[in-house]
Order: sequence, then C-alpha cells, then structure tokens
Amino acid sequence: MRVFTAVIAIAAGALVLGGYFLPALAPVQTLLLNWATILAGAAVLVGIFNLVSVHSDKIRRQEKGNAYSVLLLMALVVTFLFAMILRPGHIIMKVVLSGIIIPVEAALMGLLTISLLYAAVRLLRRRAELMSIVFLITAALLILGSATLPFGNIPVIGTFIRPWITQVLALGGARGILIGVALGALTTGLRVLFGADRPYGGN
Amino acid sequence: MVLSLDLITGLLSFVFTLFIFSYLIGDNPLFRIAVYIFVGVSSGYIASIAWWQVIWPRLINPLIFGSMFEKGFMLVPLIGAILIFMKILPRMAGMARFAMAFMVGVGAAVTIYGAVAGTLIPQVLGTINIFDLLAASARNVSPIESLFNGSVILAGTVFTLTYFHFGARPKADGSTQRIRLIELFAWVGRIFIGITLGTVFAGVYAAALTAFIERIISLINFIGNFL
Repeated sequence: MRVFTAVIAIAAGALVLGGYFLPALAPVQTLLLNWATILAGAAVLVGIFNLVSVHSDKIRRQEKGNAYSVLLLMALVVTFLFAMILRPGHIIMKVVLSGIIIPVEAALMGLLTISLLYAAVRLLRRRAELMSIVFLITAALLILGSATLPFGNIPVIGTFIRPWITQVLALGGARGILIGVALGALTTGLRVLFGADRPYGGN
Repeated sequence: MVLSLDLITGLLSFVFTLFIFSYLIGDNPLFRIAVYIFVGVSSGYIASIAWWQVIWPRLINPLIFGSMFEKGFMLVPLIGAILIFMKILPRMAGMARFAMAFMVGVGAAVTIYGAVAGTLIPQVLGTINIFDLLAASARNVSPIESLFNGSVILAGTVFTLTYFHFGARPKADGSTQRIRLIELFAWVGRIFIGITLGTVFAGVYAAALTAFIERIISLINFIGNFL
C-alpha cells in the first residue's frame, strides 16, 4: 500500500510535469489537472464537514463559548442551503456577500491599522536591533513618502527616497527572498517526485 | 424589491462593521458574534461554490449527461472523491491516502514548474536585464544610473540569498561557524531583508488604512441616509 501511494504520486507528478515540456503529454496533463481540481473541491467539502463536526462536538459537550458555535453552525447551514437551492450567483446570495462577507473582511483589514501600529511600537521596545530599526525606518519613510499632504508630496522623501527604496533597495532584497522561496519550493517538489518525502502518509 | 434588498445589505454591512470595530475597545461578545457568523457564512458559501463551480460541472454533470467515453474518464475522480470523503469516517480515513497521493504528486509538479518558469527564470532575467544599457538609454535612463542601480539590486539579491546559506564547517572544539566572508555578506543581507520587509509592511499598512477609511465612510454614509 505504501509503495502504491508513492507510485501514484510519482506517476501523476511526472506526467503533469512532462506535459509542460512535451506537447504529446499535454492532453494527459489537462486531464490529470482536471481530476486534481475535482479532488480539491471534494477536499474543501471534507474540510467544511470537519469544521461542522468540531463545533457540533463543542455544543454536545457544552463547552465554554458553545453559544458561538451554535451561531456558526446556523449561519453555515442556512447559507449553504440557500446557496444550494438558489445558486451562488442569486441576488439573495449577493446580499450575503455584500452585506456580511465583504464588510467583515474589510473591517478586519481595517483593524490591522491599529494592530500593525501597536506591533511596530512593541518591536522597537522589545528588539531594538539593527534589523528592527532598518525595518521601521524604511516603513516610516515609505508611509511618509506616499502620504498626500495639502501641499503635495514631502520634497526629498516623496520624490527621491521612496522611489529609490522601493525600486532599487527593496527590489534587491525581494528578489533574493523570491529566488530563495522558489529554490525551496523546487527542492520540496523534487523530493516529493523522487519519493524522498511522502506527506500523504506513505512513509 | 431592489431598494429593500439594498437597505438590508446596507444594514447588515453597518451592523457587522460596528461589531468588528467594537474590538477596538477590547475583545467582547459583539466582536465574537460577528466573527463566528462570518466564519459560518463564508464556509457555507465556499461549500456551495465548491459544489456548483467544481463538483457539479466537472464531475456530476459529465457522469450524468456525458458520453460513455466521458463517463469512463470521470470514474477515476469519482472514486478519488469517494476516497477523500472516507476521511470523514475515522476507521476508513486511511483509504484517502491514494487520492491524497495523487493530489500531492500533481501539486508537486505544478509547484516545480511554477517555481522555475514563474519565479526563478523571470527573476534572474530581470536582474540580468538591468545591465542592458541599450534598453536603459531607450527608457531615457543614463548608463551610469542604470549600472549603479543594477549593481545595488544585484548585491541585494546575492547578499539576501547568502543570509539563507546555513552551510558551516565544524571547528576543532565542535562548534560551527560560517566563513567570515559569508558572515559579512549575510550581515549586509539582513539590512536588505529589513528594508524589503519594511516596504511590505508599509504596503500592507497603506492597504489596511484604506480599508479602515472605506469602512468609516460607509458607516457615516449609512447614518447620513437617515438624517
């Protein structure tokens, strides 16, 4: 069984990767990607079922804060039933989207304004080292440089320092980080394809 | 009808925004109610999207209305989906390994190609192309400025990558230390990483501030409609 799962992973990966380079394998690649999309959709449903089961257990055991779990399950079931019957594009579902989902996401994002400011102050208090100071000075310069004031941009910061930091200094660092991340992803992917890592439980 | 739906949308938006912003005075039941309802609504909505935009059109529809050829091909993902649903039953959860192995294999292949074609090659080419003086003069950038900026970007890229190099030789006393040149490069790399993360922080802060202002304006506008 362990060997069989590894064979499935390696064969599927090799065929999909081959499809990018060999035109003859492109139809097989499309088919396998379609299958993977379907399985990902099924995995989403299983994940949501897990959420339901966790909160149902909380209610059954009458744990602290189970009233919130009741609210969550009611919201989930009602939304799911409405969306299944009416379909996600229906005007009622648009009310749910524009009245609850988008405003809550935007408000949570707005709360970040305070949280990030608080985190920056704490960083300076707790770890006043070179990297923290460079980090905060850069952030302060960029925020000052991009602020639109009644008299326009702040002369040197807005017109010279901010563009130079974002387009030269930060670009160099970002490029290094991106290349590092890509090398890490490449290595991890190759380890899976060679069967060295088996995160699907085939060890 | 449309007007009343607009009113309901505005009212829901107003109430949920107020509940979320109540967190500014500390964690409280109103904030929790809003967050739990948000998680429930989002999960229900995502589940319906997964059904109507993935499982129904790609799996169920071809299985019912497709040709025999299509039905044959759809049997494999059908079995895979059933195996994944086995995860719900603790005793049968192990059966999902086959489907998970397939998804991990496909994911690894897509990741490898994405890393090479989407990041490594474009980033390396981008670093090389900065030194293209002909292209720089076409953009009205002086060769000296282009060379200087290109050198700083190249140095930033190399020093940042060096920071993540953890290879070290063991000393006689058993401790390990990187070569001094690598240590120096890594130290400069830390400065570049600090600048990059500071830039990302400033970008996220600006986006958060925009969202905050937009929500405040929406609250004011909603109240303004009734005054």
